[in-house]
Amino acid sequence: MLIKILGPGCAKCNRLEQLTREAVAELGINADFEHVTQIEHIMAYPIMTTPALVVDERVKCSGRIPSKGEILGWLKV
Amino acid sequence: MDWVMTAFQGGLASLASYLAAHVLLCLVPAFFIAGGLSALVPQQSIIRYLGPDAPKWMSYPAAAGAGSLLAVCSCTVQPLFAGIYKKGAGLGPAITFLFFAPAANILALSYTGVALGADFAIARILLALSFGIGIGMIMAVLFRESDVARLADSLTFAAGESISGKVLFFLGTLVALLIAGTLKLDFLKIIVFSSSVPWRGASEVQQVLDRWVPVNEATGAEGLSLQGALLIGLLIVIGATAWRGLGKVDEGFNRLTPVTLGLVVATLVFAAMGVQVTPSGISLTVTGRSLAVIVTTLALLPQARRFEAWDVQQWLWETWRFVKMIFPLLIVGVFLVGVIRVFIQPEWIQAIAGANTLLANLAGVVFGVFMYFPTLVEVPIAKMFLSLGMHPGPLIAYLMADPELSLQSILITSAIIGKLRAWTYVGLVAIFSTLAGLTYGAWADGTSALTLGIAVAGFILMLSATLHLIEARRRD
Repeated sequence: MLIKILGPGCAKCNRLEQLTREAVAELGINADFEHVTQIEHIMAYPIMTTPALVVDERVKCSGRIPSKGEILGWLKV
Repeated sequence: MDWVMTAFQGGLASLASYLAAHVLLCLVPAFFIAGGLSALVPQQSIIRYLGPDAPKWMSYPAAAGAGSLLAVCSCTVQPLFAGIYKKGAGLGPAITFLFFAPAANILALSYTGVALGADFAIARILLALSFGIGIGMIMAVLFRESDVARLADSLTFAAGESISGKVLFFLGTLVALLIAGTLKLDFLKIIVFSSSVPWRGASEVQQVLDRWVPVNEATGAEGLSLQGALLIGLLIVIGATAWRGLGKVDEGFNRLTPVTLGLVVATLVFAAMGVQVTPSGISLTVTGRSLAVIVTTLALLPQARRFEAWDVQQWLWETWRFVKMIFPLLIVGVFLVGVIRVFIQPEWIQAIAGANTLLANLAGVVFGVFMYFPTLVEVPIAKMFLSLGMHPGPLIAYLMADPELSLQSILITSAIIGKLRAWTYVGLVAIFSTLAGLTYGAWADGTSALTLGIAVAGFILMLSATLHLIEARRRD
């Protein structure tokens, strides 16, 4: 599973990455993380606001920090 | 050694007046509103109006709305700006967004209002709005041929969630709290009851405070009151409890969370009371303002219960993040402003910017462009200039130019839209800030607001008509 965090490196983006890592650890799954900070690369996704969470190239949410429960739901499938 | 002491006391005086009751009543709710905007307002609710097919009458106001509601934090500014430019409504609205954001966010606006006066705050938002839209339209006209091919996809601007009623009501209550704490209305000054607490030490304590932070009417130093000293003490305690109570709230509410919030409410209520030191003790006055503050804070509680726990946690976490990011720099900035104030002679300022001339306004703009101050510090600097005798016109010119243009923002902008466009933008901001200063200065000197309003509105109308004509001709 490839998980991307999109965001220019602000506090919110780091918090999202931390939450997602915790969720991955809880589920015990294998996942690669990538923190995309380049604005051109971020803009390639259909989003306007950061932080955004992309799982296997699908945008799960953007512009807010989701709760861990939500993240767990996205990762389980 | 005398001047070191004077300078140090200047810094303390500046801090004391910054942490005085009326400023806290404005800034504390403003931070909670900023946190709420950032955590509770679904961004899609505004972004949906910024798509590539949005008509101009919709995209420019929406860009301004995004500037004041979504861009409380600089980390949302950059992606949103790039997004509007590359995928959405294009260069014009993106520029409007970029220009409007630093002047119109709730923190800057309310702080300007309480430190410099409501007319400065209103002028700042109105002029930033009209000239922000103006600059955006000029940029759209100038660079129309090279407008990039948009990578638009319908998904980005899909309709999504809108702002729910309960969020609006909640934010509205917070705004009511801010207004109740700061506005100078008669019914807020009514004395409901007063009582006195006998404490002989009170006047002695006040004498010590007066020695540390002397009152100086010539420089506008208000000194440190007993109430102010107690409030500063409360703030320090809040800072200590909030570190865990709000900083770790996203891992779940902890024991310190209600303690911190309780202390914040206590601070607000205490700040909204009248406290006077008398020879025999302290006289406490409960005014209409105190009651209004109590009622609005109480009204928040049942509303907050209706939100999901995660939303409330996010709100508090964001609020504390803003405080951590902005407040320390602001304190240092305010102290330094007070120190510097001691060394500047009013004659210098009055000679350069004492009247509403073109040159004076340009001087304000140039100072704003070349100086970079952290968020909000532009306000105490402006206050210092005002007390030194700067004319309100050049002051607005400075207030417009300083937060809009810094080396950092120019670099980010040019990376996204290219050097030529970025420097054109800088030039336009300089011109329009000067114009804004001249406009406000003329109003302060007695020109009627109606005449000036018509002039500004006519100018914007002319611009939008030109833009419309050019686009219509290109389509043929």
